[in-house]
Amino acid sequence: MNSDSKFLDQAPRFLFFTGKGGVGKTSIACASAMQLADAGRRVLLVSTDPASNVGQVFGIAIGNQITAIPAVPCLAALEIDPQAAAQAYRDRIVGPVRGVLPDSIVKGIEEQLSGACTTEIAAFDEFTALLTDSALTTGYDHIVFDTAPTGHTIRLLQLPGAWSGFLEQGKGDASCLGPLAGLEKQRSQYKAAVEALADPQRSRLILVARAQQSTLREVARTHEELNAIGLSQQFLAINGILPESATLQDPLANAIYQREQHALSDMPAALKNLPMDRIELKPFNLVGLTALRQLLSTAAPLAMPDNDVMPAIPAPNLSTLVDEIAADGHGLVMLMGKGGVGKTTLAAALAVELARRGLPVHLTTSDPASNLTDTLNGALPDLTVSKIDPHAETERYRQHVLATKGAKLDEAGRAMLEEDLRSPCTEEIAVFQAFSRIIREAGKKFVVMDTAPTGHTLLLLDSTGAYHREVSRQMGDSKQHFTTPMMQLQDPRQTKVLIVTLAETTPVLEAAHLQDDLRRAGIEPWAWVINNSVAATTVLSPLLRQRAVNELPEIDAVANRYAQRYALVPLLREEPTGVERLLALADGDSLADKLAANPKTQ
Amino acid sequence: MTSIHVFDPALCCSTGVCGVEVDQQLVGFAADVDWAKQNGADIERFNLAQTPLAFAENAVVKAFLERSGADALPLILVDGEVALAGRYPNRTELARWAAISVAEEQAPSGCCSGSSCC
Repeated sequence: MNSDSKFLDQAPRFLFFTGKGGVGKTSIACASAMQLADAGRRVLLVSTDPASNVGQVFGIAIGNQITAIPAVPCLAALEIDPQAAAQAYRDRIVGPVRGVLPDSIVKGIEEQLSGACTTEIAAFDEFTALLTDSALTTGYDHIVFDTAPTGHTIRLLQLPGAWSGFLEQGKGDASCLGPLAGLEKQRSQYKAAVEALADPQRSRLILVARAQQSTLREVARTHEELNAIGLSQQFLAINGILPESATLQDPLANAIYQREQHALSDMPAALKNLPMDRIELKPFNLVGLTALRQLLSTAAPLAMPDNDVMPAIPAPNLSTLVDEIAADGHGLVMLMGKGGVGKTTLAAALAVELARRGLPVHLTTSDPASNLTDTLNGALPDLTVSKIDPHAETERYRQHVLATKGAKLDEAGRAMLEEDLRSPCTEEIAVFQAFSRIIREAGKKFVVMDTAPTGHTLLLLDSTGAYHREVSRQMGDSKQHFTTPMMQLQDPRQTKVLIVTLAETTPVLEAAHLQDDLRRAGIEPWAWVINNSVAATTVLSPLLRQRAVNELPEIDAVANRYAQRYALVPLLREEPTGVERLLALADGDSLADKLAANPKTQ
Repeated sequence: MTSIHVFDPALCCSTGVCGVEVDQQLVGFAADVDWAKQNGADIERFNLAQTPLAFAENAVVKAFLERSGADALPLILVDGEVALAGRYPNRTELARWAAISVAEEQAPSGCCSGSSCC
């Protein structure tokens, strides 16, 4: 069929939309499914978005079963909740022994099954049946997924070694496939599912991104990783681009426009050869059939122009958080959140603001590409800056393990160990090992970090005792009293965890999951920071005003439901590099005033 | 034939790479189990995180867990009786239990075959 969108042109049977939370995968998947259905194709839409509003969009309750959408002939939908799938899986394994084995042991088992891998694989298991020929799907021409499995999962399933023991007999060496132990399907089904994914005649992968440098870099990595394992049919969709027409008379909108255009012209070479669609930011909420039908059309009507000014909403700024942090005189400050929410920038802003007050600060960052922190070294007398390259640390760790522990393995065993070492956990552990060397400084000064391990990883490390031993070893076997990093992280007087998010539905939900995960490990996040808020600025452009209005319920949820305390950081016209701009970032209110009062300083 | 049942602690990966330190014992033991199986031994491994029911249904293992806790694993049963606890067996022990003739496998317990570089 023909379409405005390249990614829907001659669409194959399976369409997968992938990208990080908040880029609009689910909306685009909904709009695509509708467009195909409107053209007379029979379509099944599958959403795994934990914040799924597919039901709300179509005005019908959907849930975990295929449900016809009355308002759109030929369209049916299914919602899979990955968290629920993982919970059901845990219950299958743990349920029979609850009350039989000691409680502490049952709890330990549950934690082992609470990682991201379990959720990922449980979700994949849920839609395996949809990828293989089954009675469920014969009635559909297209099946549209608002997600795609990660490279790690697909590679694991492709490894012949992975199947040798566990999945065929339900026992043996399980590796990272361990979570599949409780899954009930046959090897042939998983194999067929992976084959369907890698078949360009049947599957198309649409990478969804925003016009932001960091997001595009991340998407380029996903593209290369999935391409390397055979998912060669890839398209790129850039969502939410600010149209030039929206920039009139609004300096902020103009700055965003310039920044986005620059990110697009400067996008990684690997992406430039992909067929690309640009989807403009729409001045309306993507709820209801009319709105969705307009999402993919190039000529959407703009909302009526009016010249009201929407003033910045009043909210605590970063500087008020710094007041409280500074009062302690020293301590560890960790910023946590999904990639792309601005952890590095905010870590730098906090560090600079603390140093400006004459407090000794060590800022350490895991973003090696950040030239933000380059410019800070030596910029303030009380500030030191260091960097940890996660890829280099992980690679070093992998090589070390393979050379020492993997030396005597046969080929299949070595392949499994290598893939285990590509799991997200490995990177987290390698980076945290590097960081833990610096953590000890926090007894005397401030240490600000732009990353932190998840609660799940901390619990696993702590429960195995391996961490404790590691620390004892590093402390030189002294019989002195010492605290483990876990104890240090749990103590609010020593450690403050700040959760960073954006004022959008999915990112706020993801941040809430992070908070739950930390609480399981006995760590109570000290504050939330909402970054890049349009509502915290003074906006003229109708498009941006709409975005600001959309942010309000999310800000409200953070302020009143999730966070003990929070700060709102405005979207800036330019990347805050250098001390001056970072200081201005902490002091959000006055910055917004300054921008409003004097727009021509740009 | 003698059956060897290995009850592992809760591991997310049987290679143990998820830990701070990869446990050399686990990696080595995985290789030893492979070797013993190829020589005809009847060995099964149970991971506490994946098949807890196997622990709960075996009276010996259940009692061991109640008495000593999960930290005391691994536990190795040979024909249903405790043969070893708290550490993994080496290749020689596996061979003895499974009655594998070690003569054809020279110096199985040395870490570098033939040399004395260790």
